[in-house]
Amino acid sequence: MRIRHHLYLFPLIAALFCLSLTATADVSPTYAIRNAKIVPVSGPAIEKGILIIRNGLIEAVGPVDKVKIPEDAEIIEAEGLIAYPGLISAHTNVLLDDPASRPAETPPGAPDVLAGGNVQGQPASSADLMAFKILKPKKATLDGLLRAGITTVLIAPNRGIIQGQSVVVDLNGENPSLMVVKNPAALHINFTTNRGGYPSSLMGTIAYLRQSFLDTEHYAACLALYAKNPKGMKRPGYDPFLEALVPYLKDKKPVVFQCNNLEDVKRALKIIDEFKLNALLSHANEAWRDAAILKKAAIPLLVTLDFRPPSGSMYIAQGEDLRKKAEAEIYPANASNLAKDGIKFALTSFGLSDGSVFLKNVQAAIKAGLPKEEALKALTIQPALYLGLSAQLGSLEPGKIANVILTRGELFDDKTQVEKVFVDGILWKF
Amino acid sequence: MNKTLKIVFMSALILAIGARPALSAGNLLIKNGTILTVTKGVIVKGDILVLNGIIRQIGSNIAAPDGVKVIDASGKYVIPGIIDSHTHIALAGTNEGSEAITPEADVGAVINADDTAILTALSGGVTMVHTMHGSANPIGGPNVVLKMRWGKPSEDLLVPEALRTLKFALGENVKQSSRTIVPGGPPPRYPQTRMGTNAIIRREMLKAKAYMEEWDRYNKLKGSKTPPANLVPPRRDLRMEVLSDLLRGKMVARCHDYQATEALEFMELAKEFGFKVQCFEHAWEAYKIADELAAAKIGLSVFADSWAYKMEAAEGIAYMAGYCAKKGVLVSINSDSSERIRRLFNDAGKTMKYGGLSETEALSLVTINPAIQLGVDKIVGSLEVGKQGDIAVFNEHPMSAYARCDLTVIDGDVYFDRAQYLKEREDAAKQAQAPKKGGRP
Repeated sequence: MRIRHHLYLFPLIAALFCLSLTATADVSPTYAIRNAKIVPVSGPAIEKGILIIRNGLIEAVGPVDKVKIPEDAEIIEAEGLIAYPGLISAHTNVLLDDPASRPAETPPGAPDVLAGGNVQGQPASSADLMAFKILKPKKATLDGLLRAGITTVLIAPNRGIIQGQSVVVDLNGENPSLMVVKNPAALHINFTTNRGGYPSSLMGTIAYLRQSFLDTEHYAACLALYAKNPKGMKRPGYDPFLEALVPYLKDKKPVVFQCNNLEDVKRALKIIDEFKLNALLSHANEAWRDAAILKKAAIPLLVTLDFRPPSGSMYIAQGEDLRKKAEAEIYPANASNLAKDGIKFALTSFGLSDGSVFLKNVQAAIKAGLPKEEALKALTIQPALYLGLSAQLGSLEPGKIANVILTRGELFDDKTQVEKVFVDGILWKF
Repeated sequence: MNKTLKIVFMSALILAIGARPALSAGNLLIKNGTILTVTKGVIVKGDILVLNGIIRQIGSNIAAPDGVKVIDASGKYVIPGIIDSHTHIALAGTNEGSEAITPEADVGAVINADDTAILTALSGGVTMVHTMHGSANPIGGPNVVLKMRWGKPSEDLLVPEALRTLKFALGENVKQSSRTIVPGGPPPRYPQTRMGTNAIIRREMLKAKAYMEEWDRYNKLKGSKTPPANLVPPRRDLRMEVLSDLLRGKMVARCHDYQATEALEFMELAKEFGFKVQCFEHAWEAYKIADELAAAKIGLSVFADSWAYKMEAAEGIAYMAGYCAKKGVLVSINSDSSERIRRLFNDAGKTMKYGGLSETEALSLVTINPAIQLGVDKIVGSLEVGKQGDIAVFNEHPMSAYARCDLTVIDGDVYFDRAQYLKEREDAAKQAQAPKKGGRP
């Protein structure tokens, strides 16, 4: 069985080899996944179906008697397997080049010595940093994510307060250019401090964020005035950091706020409201503590499956026993509580070390009361919607990107294995 | 019983039950206590009725309206909730210490309603605090006034009626005199001297004035009949906006200091730029300038004792708070700490021995005086009809060394009940000792 399987795939391997050499995506083979149970997420499950993949896209999905297998298709016999859309983790910091090796940048302009500052640390803003430019895909990491069924991730820079701009990639190989689905995807902001420099406190961070958006507003206004009538006007100075922020403030491109506790959620909502940002709230593992404000705000949530209570939490302050209890019992119920309150969300693997922890934690969230189908939606159509990729990703429908996983057993069940993974129509080799 | 009578009786009973509201929030009758109103004398064996969070009646033999919880305070002392005029609890971070001038760093943005120091405060009868930016900078940031509503979301702690205050600091902390300069480490921060501190504050005030003028000019041009084609609005600067609010009188200054000279210099600055100094904080040498403070109507928010813990506090004296109060300065005793906050009444009591204040005068230092300093004396600080139902019940006179807070009430709701806490603690201990189900004994 195993040998036959390998022989069978030989042409594919050859094709992949060619692919990597020529860096073109138009030679990927045509597949017919046959006799699988198909869970398209966008509609009811098909008990015995066929799914045709051509040219990296889903060509057809339907019951066995309705879909004709094209002559050029390689047949993947999938009796006893279940096909799902590939999972999407809408906030990660994976596949980044070692951040420590990035050169320190200094903000433009001479420091105001008399400002009474002793600014030594990194600049707080890396608004112009593109995650795409520091991508470094590694096979081992890719394998881990794909084994967990994750085929698409949003990768955000992970340092500083204004961290930079993320990219959405399909995990289809190790060539960043072929992986990109959307770039830039969003601007990322974290409620942290700038050790050794300004701002060194959370209240300073909030002031700094507000000032940054105010400065962007001013910068954009000056540029617009100058563009309209440059004659007789001194040209505004160029600022790469503010320049990078303009589309997020003026064109309402998405801004992701990393909310490490309930108060961060409120802080983010205030800033979003003040500057009328098009925002998403990430992390948010304390969202359950105040569902009412989230219901009112109706801002997309990218809820992490990281169940560790936030630092400074009263669950940590009161000793190791309570912390463990909170991590095992209280925080895993975050998603199910949100679902009960009728709040929509996507789930992410943000902060988790690897794919196996991710799967374990999805199971814990389900055990804590999250319906399995809600978990599946929160990892497929929901993130696709929030990332503005509904037309391409999130469900098994004709015309969408062929990100398909085949599992033995129902997804998120204890002993279920992800047996085959197609990303952009390419069968991944573990 | 006659059948008709029985029906009438039953329907009356049903009506009474129907009309009876559940024990609702904000309603409370405290009976038979010795009421220390602070501003309106003492009522022995008195009652105090709170409805919907507001004190409605103070007197004797008040009957409890339907659905109002009654607490018997026989043999106990009922006082206004204690107010801490200077502390740093319930915050996620105290200092934006990176730079010397940070008025944009507002502690209101980092209220931490989960801080267990709120419970500690409640256990000492504290119902309201002025929680402040730290003293790392000449100009720190805006502070907030909170009620100790433990268990409520952070935004529900805020007291919107309070004055907006801005923290300043002078002396050793801001010139970083206790910081060791390490070769290759961060360079020393300006200012390094008291004269530098004064100079940098003055410079920032001049900048704020220029900022205000710049906006005035812009607004005037913008509003004119023929505004210039390329009129660019000035950059909005959060730092300068806070200082502008101070200069426009929308905020008041609360200034940490120790030495009399630096306080006098700061008063000169306030006079030059026309801003209001509400209080000096700690101010261990304030007794040297009590007359000047009284004349300028500047209050004091100070410790009761434990002076001389650093060089600039060396000339502190035990009589300071009492002496300054007698000189006509509005004095409050503060905690500046999440621990001392539970015994502010003890600290206030010390001024009776050192300073010769009366019981009421001493109690004022942690009730009505801080309320005036925070601009909330119309709503709290004393037990008066119409004020908010913030009340503490003590086993003894609160100025006694044996006093202990037994009950703390905010807006007519009980937030701390010592007897109940002790019972809960006992129950928890029993539960912890009990053999676990299915576990080994």
